[in-house]
Amino acid sequence: MPASASSNNRPPDLLCRLNSGDEDTKLKALREVKNQIIGNKTKKLSYIKLGAVPTVVDILGTASDSDTCLLIQSAAVIGSFSCGVDVGVKAVLDSGAFPHLFRILSNSDDKVVDAAARSLRMIFQSKLAPKYYFLEEEKLEFLLSLLNSENENVTGLGASIISHSCETSAEQMVLSEAGVLERLITLLEGSLNLRDVSLESLAAIIKNNSEIISKFVNLDSGRALSLIKELVKDRYPRTRLLACMVLIAIGQSSPCHLRDIGIRTKLILTLVELLEESDRVGDEAPFALARLISDKEDLHKLALEVDVLIKLCKFLSKVPIHAKRLEGILVALSELCSKLENCRSQFLTLQVLHLVTDALKHDLAEVRTAACICIRSVTRSVKNLSAGHYFNEMTVIPLVQLLHDPCTSVQVAALGAISNIVVDFKIRKSTFIQCGGVKHLVQLSKSMDAVLRLNAVLALRNLMFLLDKNGKECILLELTISTLASLICDPEPSIQEQALALVRNLVDGCVDSIEHVFSEDGLIINSVGRQVSTASKPEVCVQGMYVLSNVAAGNELHKEAVMHHLLQPEASEYTQSVIIKFLQGSDSQLRTASVWGVVNLTYPGSPGASDRYARLRDAGIISQIKSMVNDPCLDAKFRVRTVLEQCMTFPSSSA
Amino acid sequence: MPVRVVESSAPSQITGGNNEHSLPPACTLLSVGQAFAGTQNVSSLQKDEAWRVNVRIQGCDLDHGYLCGTMEALNVPLADTPVVTFWEGEIVDTKNYTFFTGKWEATPEDDIRHWSKFPSFNPLLSQVEADGGKSLDLSNYPYIFMRWKEQYFVNVGIDCGLTIAGFYYVCFSCSDGSINGFYYDPNSSPFQKLELKSTNEGRSGFSFSSYQLQ
Repeated sequence: MPASASSNNRPPDLLCRLNSGDEDTKLKALREVKNQIIGNKTKKLSYIKLGAVPTVVDILGTASDSDTCLLIQSAAVIGSFSCGVDVGVKAVLDSGAFPHLFRILSNSDDKVVDAAARSLRMIFQSKLAPKYYFLEEEKLEFLLSLLNSENENVTGLGASIISHSCETSAEQMVLSEAGVLERLITLLEGSLNLRDVSLESLAAIIKNNSEIISKFVNLDSGRALSLIKELVKDRYPRTRLLACMVLIAIGQSSPCHLRDIGIRTKLILTLVELLEESDRVGDEAPFALARLISDKEDLHKLALEVDVLIKLCKFLSKVPIHAKRLEGILVALSELCSKLENCRSQFLTLQVLHLVTDALKHDLAEVRTAACICIRSVTRSVKNLSAGHYFNEMTVIPLVQLLHDPCTSVQVAALGAISNIVVDFKIRKSTFIQCGGVKHLVQLSKSMDAVLRLNAVLALRNLMFLLDKNGKECILLELTISTLASLICDPEPSIQEQALALVRNLVDGCVDSIEHVFSEDGLIINSVGRQVSTASKPEVCVQGMYVLSNVAAGNELHKEAVMHHLLQPEASEYTQSVIIKFLQGSDSQLRTASVWGVVNLTYPGSPGASDRYARLRDAGIISQIKSMVNDPCLDAKFRVRTVLEQCMTFPSSSA
Repeated sequence: MPVRVVESSAPSQITGGNNEHSLPPACTLLSVGQAFAGTQNVSSLQKDEAWRVNVRIQGCDLDHGYLCGTMEALNVPLADTPVVTFWEGEIVDTKNYTFFTGKWEATPEDDIRHWSKFPSFNPLLSQVEADGGKSLDLSNYPYIFMRWKEQYFVNVGIDCGLTIAGFYYVCFSCSDGSINGFYYDPNSSPFQKLELKSTNEGRSGFSFSSYQLQ
């Protein structure tokens, strides 16, 4: 009766039978489990939960070398548990299956060896598999013996181990010197399985290693490279993808081998075409495309010419879309829009921004991050920021909500997008302030995480750029003078730099805004003065000098305060003032910023200018400026002339 | 307190094929946030007329020879409010852009005729006539030549009765931050002169803001 048969094959019953003392019962149960879990993730999970994996591993471990049926079936079940399910791999590894599987690779029965090799390959496909340390001589010899085996499954295992474990350049060199490249090239002409795993191994061995790439491209008078280029046109999608990945690895480390526009176009088109594939290949293709074009403006141009942006946006509109693929498409789009205005412009014309905005609310953190990064790239367009056509509450509000995301990488990515959006220009600054964005940025500027703190301060700095009086006061009210002062003195120089740039924007514009740096007993101006005197990074000093220079463009009191900070001896009365140090320094931006400070302190028409000139002259600053009339930096040189022209008007200038 | 200043403003030829160092100098007076004020002379045969103009730099990308910003025309007849336009600039750096426009209905002859209106262009003329100035190294030249093309109206509709069909030939002086320009539009009065000066917006000195795109 079918009902009773099925009840005997329920997972708990089968588990009981796996523990039976009778070998035949065990074997039948193993076969039944294997049949039930093949391609059935739910069943796999249910058996794993019941604790079946340790039982099966125990059978494998206790079976003698001659119990071939038990060895084959238990190895096969272990392989199946490890296939495509990370919890399965973890359970298999935790149960100690690894040494048993390696042991039976040397069994005299080919079928046992086959089963063990297949099973181990499944495990090595997972990131959870332990690294195989083949730098040890014995292990390398064993690995080479696998790779050189006549048994296809064993050879494939060797290649899988390489693609999983080869990471460092030392490991790459050892394999290259052992002739592995040549062996893998031979395997490319084998079965489909072998070809694919060999391509993966090749990519691992040549990755970021120009020396090995150089060897590879010259192998057999360039035949190896030609073979890979041919495989980009293979009929099997996965092979095409993997061949593309090898060429991408070559192009990234040694662009000279991938100059030909034909192959570059072919790569781009193949990867876009692979997006049509419904399986893992289609999910991985956009990531490969993103890697290919990463940071390469010429490839962005090429991609634009062959309508890649249009095609990616078309895939973006397909519903439903698998999360991994959505993430990949967003990553590829953000690469493509990261440099060229033409790309951003076409992206906006295609009217898919709302789809990216929708992805900001996706369940998966990776997708949310990718959506933020995509918006960040698109919003690098000053033209569109200024037009304000595309960015409104629909984009700003979900981005602000992501500032509270439980995942830090999402928060950082959201801050990146917000930093751009708030640069300009009136409409969006007020939208951002009205939706409570400042409060969230201020909270993150106090985070213990330095990356979050840095990005939050950078966003506040951009928000402060050309901001009106009310907006500035709104930020300061939320941020407080004391927090701003502590950010100027943050332990991280990059945060000091952004905090000083923020203050620089605060004191730009209306003269009244300068007063903020003198409130609370001059907490801000004193922090700026201290930082300028003590900071070692020129970037920090440049921003600090521009703060002082902007303050020096204010009223008499402001100018005098700057005089006080600049003329203080750096450490003791025997050392020179900080501004002399900057003017004599090698950083042209810092010299320029410092000369601007002197321009403002001696600005004609202000009552104390002549007196300040005399004091600057007595402190040796004017003679230092005179010595810079031929400064190699044109900007600094012209500002030096401005100072000298201004000084000509002072009665004491002939002294 | 006279100080002798050594002039090194003559343009030089690029040696070799490397254009890497030919980008114009970074100039703080032409950086983001900077404001300029002046006039555009729109006189015709019928009447003398000049509009007050304010300009603000909003974006600058020297690597790509790109500059952009807004231009506000204040006393435009028939307009109720100041008219603000957004413009994009091509910096003549001989890497991204040459002196020849190659578009916007401007022939090389139009280009030379307009550029020649700037005295600072004269030392470059013969080389520009020869190759558009491709072999010039402008990295140490105290003037920056640009074309500014208005792209859209910021605060009024396209039906405002004004046109932004033409573009400006622009010359910026690194030394004093002044900007001179000539508007070119085959359908408008020729050589409308734009004259702008760096403005400190009521402050007793120069002030600089900045942002950093991510």
